[in-house]
Amino acid sequence: MSEVLITATASITGLGPDLDTTWRRLLAGETAVRPILRFDAGRYSTRNASWIEGLETRGDRSLLYPLLERLLDGFVPLPPGCRLVAATTKGCIDTFERVRKGLPGAVDDIPVSGPLAWLAARLGLDDPGVNVNSACASSTMAVARAAAMIASGRADAVLVVCMDLVSEFILSGFSSLQALDPAGCRPFDRNRNGLSIGEGGAALLMMSAEKARGKGIRGIGSVVGWGAANDATHVTAPARDGCGLIQAIRLAMAKASIGPDDISAINAHGTGTVYNDAMEATAFESVFGSRRIPLNSLKGAIGHTMGAAGGIEVAVGLRSLADRTLPPTTGFGEPMERCGFPVSPLPQPIGGRYLLSTNSGFGGINAALVLKGNPE
Amino acid sequence: MTGPVVAGIGWITPQGPGRGREAREFPMTPGPIPPVNREDVFPEPNLRFGRLPQYSRVGLAAIAFALRDAGMEQWKTKRFAGLVASTRAGCLVTDIEYYNTVLPEGGGLPSPNLFSSTLPTCFLGEAAIQFGLTGPTLIVNDPAKDALSGVRMALESLSWGECGTMLAGHIDLPAGPAIPGISPPWTGGLFMVLENARDSIANGYGTLDLSDGGAVLHNGIGVPGLNELVRACLAFRGPS
Repeated sequence: MSEVLITATASITGLGPDLDTTWRRLLAGETAVRPILRFDAGRYSTRNASWIEGLETRGDRSLLYPLLERLLDGFVPLPPGCRLVAATTKGCIDTFERVRKGLPGAVDDIPVSGPLAWLAARLGLDDPGVNVNSACASSTMAVARAAAMIASGRADAVLVVCMDLVSEFILSGFSSLQALDPAGCRPFDRNRNGLSIGEGGAALLMMSAEKARGKGIRGIGSVVGWGAANDATHVTAPARDGCGLIQAIRLAMAKASIGPDDISAINAHGTGTVYNDAMEATAFESVFGSRRIPLNSLKGAIGHTMGAAGGIEVAVGLRSLADRTLPPTTGFGEPMERCGFPVSPLPQPIGGRYLLSTNSGFGGINAALVLKGNPE
Repeated sequence: MTGPVVAGIGWITPQGPGRGREAREFPMTPGPIPPVNREDVFPEPNLRFGRLPQYSRVGLAAIAFALRDAGMEQWKTKRFAGLVASTRAGCLVTDIEYYNTVLPEGGGLPSPNLFSSTLPTCFLGEAAIQFGLTGPTLIVNDPAKDALSGVRMALESLSWGECGTMLAGHIDLPAGPAIPGISPPWTGGLFMVLENARDSIANGYGTLDLSDGGAVLHNGIGVPGLNELVRACLAFRGPS
């Protein structure tokens, strides 16, 4: 089985147009959750979301394209034969909204084949690739898929591109489910009351270690474990006992040939909903027992970026391992009941080489990745 | 090494519902998908099915028929079987239905029930609950016209040992006049139960493999698309 390196990362979030800016503002405990100006959100339970400043486009095209253009601007050249695995839940949802409102819109952009074709052309790829949709675990599953493709020898290099937009479609839906916190997302907090939606993107270039080292590329870190499992319990709510997440984490650690004692930090899904965070605490407790591993969530800072969440969290997770610092959990104040893991509004030091990153989504989906940092 | 066995096949097409062991042939001509009712799928009352939009009903029904065909519909303990489907348009028909409840002229009261089905994976989650399936769950959006990407991904997952059983298929419904110009090349829902040969006890429809170039092979022979794959499976098994 080939070792899977991540050799280049990029991200764009409400906190900044690049990973360095996002990282700096994450460490400062800032949030990008603020009133939406893009559409009238006055009818919904909150007007707030984490959105990217200054996205503009020609009238009939989606804002997804300028988001991707900024994300990929200056990204490293792709090796020959590089495959593309994208991850988005709703793609050009703003174009869909325009068309349904009777406004001009590029209809071909509405199926995900639209942005896939755009990406392939922008990146000079012969193969338009595929998009993985596993709800809010989409990009975690895409990274897992890419890792499996490389590990099995099916591909030498895979670019994972993750993306999703803030839209009225999404805000109205979560509002109708009463899943939004008007005060802003507060992961793992005693008073948490829902999520904040966000938009963003990530690009992760993954390569076989053999191929990368042959080109003199050391890599930023590795994806050493991945796993996925379904709760088979409820479509929109997580299983109270965390059964799917527990199984996904155990599969990921088994793939990495490591045990619970080897994990030195956890980047949780941490949406800030009552049931998600309680489920995650239950699952982590079940897997890690009495170990008290530093735990965080980025969603109070950059919102829940849906199909982009796991990809952004991988980029930030690798930076966390490199800098030996877990970013603050923005919005966190008072610890929730029955969560013994250290969550902090301040950066936390981390000691080891393995970080666990997890995501869960509608449909009972759970996915876990084990990331390994490079030695000094 | 022998590839996975096709242990069961089920579908909803414009010609209606069907499953492999009850079918003599696999007719597939374009047209609208007929409404799928609970009685067509489950003999007993099913609290969830009636609340599902058409896209989810089509997908869940095709999975139910595939499992029934494989003799795997009944279960007592959860099973680590994966679910993967390819699609071109995804759940666009559900998106339209939901967004009509958002637009002020539609009443401006967004439907939480419909929103819960506006991810193309949601019917896979319904199937996971209904049939106790706990493996990896994903939809693959693929521009390829052969409607085989779900099957390809499942074959990869099986070969990588991610699980021993996968429900793999394709689902697409035309968007209709609400968004003209989006008509997927394949219409309906179709799933196959694929089992690693060493695990399979089913008397199946032959074996599948992937060529190095990614072509789907049925009993070693390449198939150009989903319809041809189903017909090859049915021809291999012969009349029941």
